[in-house]
Amino acid sequence: MNVRRMKNGNKTLHFKRRSEQSSADDIHRPMPTVEISLEESGAEIPVLHRSYLEVFGSKKKNRVIELGETEILIGRNPDCGLQLLRNTVSRKHARVFFRNEEYHIEDLGSMNGTFVNGVRIERSVLRNKDQIRICGVKILFNEEHSLIET
Amino acid sequence: MKPVNNGSKVLVTFWGTRGSISTPGRITEKYGGNTSCVTIRHRDVFLILDAGTGIRNLGIELAEEFSEQRLPRALHLFLSHTHWDHIQGLPFFEPAYNKTTKMTIYGSPRKGRFLGSILKGQMDSEYFPVGMSAFSAGITIKEISAEAIELGALTIDWQEQFHHPGGSVRYRIRVDGKRIVYATDVELDRIFRGNTRSKEDKAMGRAYLDFVEQADLLIGDGQYTGAEYGTKQGWGHSSVDVLLEACYRGRVKQLAVFHHDPQHSDKFLDNLSAKNRSRYHSDYEGMNIFWAREGLTLAI
Repeated sequence: MNVRRMKNGNKTLHFKRRSEQSSADDIHRPMPTVEISLEESGAEIPVLHRSYLEVFGSKKKNRVIELGETEILIGRNPDCGLQLLRNTVSRKHARVFFRNEEYHIEDLGSMNGTFVNGVRIERSVLRNKDQIRICGVKILFNEEHSLIET
Repeated sequence: MKPVNNGSKVLVTFWGTRGSISTPGRITEKYGGNTSCVTIRHRDVFLILDAGTGIRNLGIELAEEFSEQRLPRALHLFLSHTHWDHIQGLPFFEPAYNKTTKMTIYGSPRKGRFLGSILKGQMDSEYFPVGMSAFSAGITIKEISAEAIELGALTIDWQEQFHHPGGSVRYRIRVDGKRIVYATDVELDRIFRGNTRSKEDKAMGRAYLDFVEQADLLIGDGQYTGAEYGTKQGWGHSSVDVLLEACYRGRVKQLAVFHHDPQHSDKFLDNLSAKNRSRYHSDYEGMNIFWAREGLTLAI
């Protein structure tokens, strides 16, 4: 799970905060608010980023692999971050890595290929809900972004 | 996205897939908003097909690669034509400002004005703050001749495409028995459909099919849906329906639908892809169809 700070998004975001004039006696009254435009203030907006691979297994047991900024190897080898125990999967089949604020997948010269949305790729940037397929194993790339409530 | 250099494989990377005008934003981030730019890399030979806005990101990555002393520094840029969406990224191409780069730019000899003056024109001070003379790379501009061009193990031949305002060129790259065709900005509907087809149109249709026959990858213009094409006749772009049909007739093995309409969002292209991908699968199992997206590298 990554928490990054994004300075002003595309949207104008308005945060409401308690008025400085409020006192303890006002606590049961409707809260007066002051609108602050973060675009005007130049403040950074904390944003929660969560990216993960959802591996669809047999018997409806899905695995979820959280992605950070460390590369994840996919393959048959036990040292792979995502181990796929199928004979047709290469020992080191593919890798998922983070570069320039984006996740990418790269085939590592596997025998049977890495597919993204049905296309056999050498390398591809990953976008939300991209379907990766490795030797019949379906892996969904998910990205979630949300503002952190403060 | 880093340019991949992987031994003797032929690697095709999409840096810009959009047609007409760049379309940044959330709803186009999957297929990409940059205009036409594709690279083909085989050993030390590096081809760039068109210099739309996608070439800017390529330039950033190449500059990094150059700084790490990794070759190649000789680049070959093939322009399909000189409309904005195919040349507008060139002034932002970082290696052009690096004196160690050598770049040859190829384009159609049919242009009324010499190709060099057209490219120079877009960097006139009325349009851009820096003139083309600021390029410190060794740049050679060549109007392609009738002969095929040999670059390393690659052979590149080409044909004029007449059904695009001002004309355009399609290229075929052959290497190690593989064929890659780049044929964007052409109105195939006019040469394959309609009752008003002339003898010339029919001849152009045959020439197209010969050129693309059994291509391992065809990057083809599929800007419009069949319904949209009705109001876009004469604009120089193809409908997906006709592109698919022509590729099927040409026994193309893999088709990358390219030059996406600026009005087409990711969701729209996803739907179009889902609707069309399996259309020819049962008839000719070798034909794989996908909608080209930025940041994708294929090994052919």
